[in-house]
Amino acid sequence: MNQPITLEASDEQAPVRDANRPPLDLRGLLGGAARQGSLLVVIAALIIGFGIARPFFLDGSNLMNVLLQAAVVGILALGQTYVLITGGIDLSIGSTVAVTAVAAGSFSHSMPAAVAIALALLVGALCGLVNGLLVTIAKITPFIVTLGTMGIYAGLALIIAGGQAVYGIPVAFENALAGRIAGVPIPVVLFIVLTIVSSLVLRYTVFGEYLIAIGGNSEVARLAGIQVGRHTATAYVVAGAAAGLAGGILTARLGAADPTLGADLLLTAIAATVIGGTKLEGGYGSMAGAAFGAVLIATLTAGLTSLNVQAFYQQVAVGAAIILALLIDRIAKSRKA
Amino acid sequence: MSEATAALQVIDLTKTFPGVKAIVGVSFTAHPGEVHTLLGENGAGKSTLLKTVFGVQRPDSGEIRVDGNVVEFARPSDALAAGIAMVHQELSLVPQMTAIQNVVLGTERNRGGIIDWKEARERATASLTRLRFDAPINIPVSQLSVAQQQLVELARALSTDARTIIMDEPTASLTTAESERLFEIIDDLRASGVAIIYVSHRLKEVLELSDRVTVLRDGQLVATLLRSEIQSEDDLVRLMVGRQLDAHGVGPGDTQPGEELFRIEHVTVPGVVDDVSLTVRRGEVVGLAGMVGAGRTELARAVFGADKRTSGDIWVHGKKVVIRRPLDAIRAGIALLTEDRKHQGLSLDMTTASNVTLMDPPGRRGFINRRVQRDVATAALKPLNTKMQVDRPVRTLSGGNQQKVVLARWLRQDSDVYIFDEPTRGIDVGAKGEIHAIMRNLADRGKAVLMISSDLPEVLAMADRVVIMRRGRVVAELDRDEADEETVVRHAAAE
Repeated sequence: MNQPITLEASDEQAPVRDANRPPLDLRGLLGGAARQGSLLVVIAALIIGFGIARPFFLDGSNLMNVLLQAAVVGILALGQTYVLITGGIDLSIGSTVAVTAVAAGSFSHSMPAAVAIALALLVGALCGLVNGLLVTIAKITPFIVTLGTMGIYAGLALIIAGGQAVYGIPVAFENALAGRIAGVPIPVVLFIVLTIVSSLVLRYTVFGEYLIAIGGNSEVARLAGIQVGRHTATAYVVAGAAAGLAGGILTARLGAADPTLGADLLLTAIAATVIGGTKLEGGYGSMAGAAFGAVLIATLTAGLTSLNVQAFYQQVAVGAAIILALLIDRIAKSRKA
Repeated sequence: MSEATAALQVIDLTKTFPGVKAIVGVSFTAHPGEVHTLLGENGAGKSTLLKTVFGVQRPDSGEIRVDGNVVEFARPSDALAAGIAMVHQELSLVPQMTAIQNVVLGTERNRGGIIDWKEARERATASLTRLRFDAPINIPVSQLSVAQQQLVELARALSTDARTIIMDEPTASLTTAESERLFEIIDDLRASGVAIIYVSHRLKEVLELSDRVTVLRDGQLVATLLRSEIQSEDDLVRLMVGRQLDAHGVGPGDTQPGEELFRIEHVTVPGVVDDVSLTVRRGEVVGLAGMVGAGRTELARAVFGADKRTSGDIWVHGKKVVIRRPLDAIRAGIALLTEDRKHQGLSLDMTTASNVTLMDPPGRRGFINRRVQRDVATAALKPLNTKMQVDRPVRTLSGGNQQKVVLARWLRQDSDVYIFDEPTRGIDVGAKGEIHAIMRNLADRGKAVLMISSDLPEVLAMADRVVIMRRGRVVAELDRDEADEETVVRHAAAE
């Protein structure tokens, strides 16, 4: 403070590197490792607990099945996290799954699997684009926009499918999205890859940085020259595409495209993100957290099923898990302060 | 200074927490019927002290006494119950509620859950009248001026029979006339036996108002002086910074301004800015003076593309530029450092490094290199004489350091035109001098600097030319030699 201030434009030309810094910031990648670490502990505890009660729960094939159950919700939760970080919300992803499932099912009859999958993704992205444009250009609150499109997309799915499931999905399509690579179900592979990619996007790309800035304070972002509308809309497109992938996977796994899929998936996906520590008010989100949240819910559901607990009680358990996760968070924070 | 007469006494208070400067062994006494000013640079510990006294934070050690009795506040409502009220720097009214609703908020009398509005109205009116409040009491307070809203907040303090009122920089967003009125009201309160703890960076008003001044530096008590023991502003400055420093720091430039660099013509924003034109030359600091509400901030935002304007052309380097959004302005070489740092300048939960590089995170093809980002941010902050961990959230920084983060971001851009909106508002004397030096340095490097400021001494000390706005229009333009306090005020306030 005591030396005279001189400003030279060249001051930052030669940044000094600190050799001691780790090359990859794992903590930052997980989005604040404490929360994600404790999630892993909880998941492990659940698995061990269920395993003691029902030893078959620990079988590799059973655990893989849990991951498979988590994959669809997890992929949706990853997409939702992009939107939540901007301070928005996408209530339409469940309905988008229905539309894209039906679209994928219909396309698969007449087209190669790869094309049908690409088209499903495209339809999902379009659904997201409509949301994004309504939010950013028409400037309608995200909750309202996606509440509206939730109904519209759900209706469209029924209209396209003529009110009933699309059957006769070709084996090639089923194998493309529900087959296995080296013994691992393809949905699980996609889930893991997308979790890693999304974590990297959030941590190491300008797009991720800008979503956080926009969610943290959109006026600050705008005044810093960030194209708030374009980036926000892109987040909805990503969420829509993720829903498209989820729709394709479900169609492949079920061997049929069910136009009534949706509402349940939406709430479970939001639950996964919230358990993972993403803030609904925007500005912070964790992709790894969303993935772990999905796995936790899937573990809980599968475990309770193995204990022959009725589905009604399972709903209660999942609901309690959400509240418990946030409660623990709150207690941990007040301890720290 | 006997204990019996003290309204509020703080004895040997210590508060430490990691990363943030705290207070060490501070003692402080507020007497009834006295204005006791707390003075110190940003980060000196004033906020921590006030938060502790008001029950927002708990002290590590030391005690607080009210009327001689030791008290422990777990939350602000405990402090309120003990007769301590606080008028916050950022007002804490519910904008949609009326003055009456705000005054009685939380203390409404009710019968079976139904609010007794008659009693509320009477009680609110009594407090508001005592403060000579003359605005409508039954419209939402968001429609009132900042000064009027402040009175509502003060009325809330009075309605709870507060005997100690803490006022945190109450004049920061008031005009000169409004401040004068507030001082009269403070005099009234003092005469009625209220103890007032006053925080301000404006040394002139501190001398005018205070009966006693306590100076903090680096979390420690430097001195408590009676008004009669203080000779001049420089005495206070010396105590605050612990070194000799001219109260008004840097003066105008020595070099002659060069050719025209920035020109705006016929800028109009309906209702707030009316056909404003002005120019700034290379190497020149132009002061934009006027009352709060004269349309200066609105002009800056419209020029920067942050708000819509219905007309107006902008030239940089003699070239007309199209500005529809902030990004256009930034690309055209214009920088706007907004007044409200917390809401318009910084993303508080992001790190310092992210905030400094918000406009162009270093990296390639859309990827950010975090290591380079940290280094770039550290390098950008270095010339601002500040050291901070750049990978911590900006929220944890002091106000002065937050301002430096904003500065570092825009200085990195190496823009041609720098618009500063109230650059030193709420900033202590030491940091103020540094920011003045930065503005002068920018001008010396051939930039055009437009400085919006309600701090008249600052305008007169810094500006090579003064443009005065009133009610959305430019009403006068004065050269440095023509501009004196009286002339500027006359133009700014004339009706």
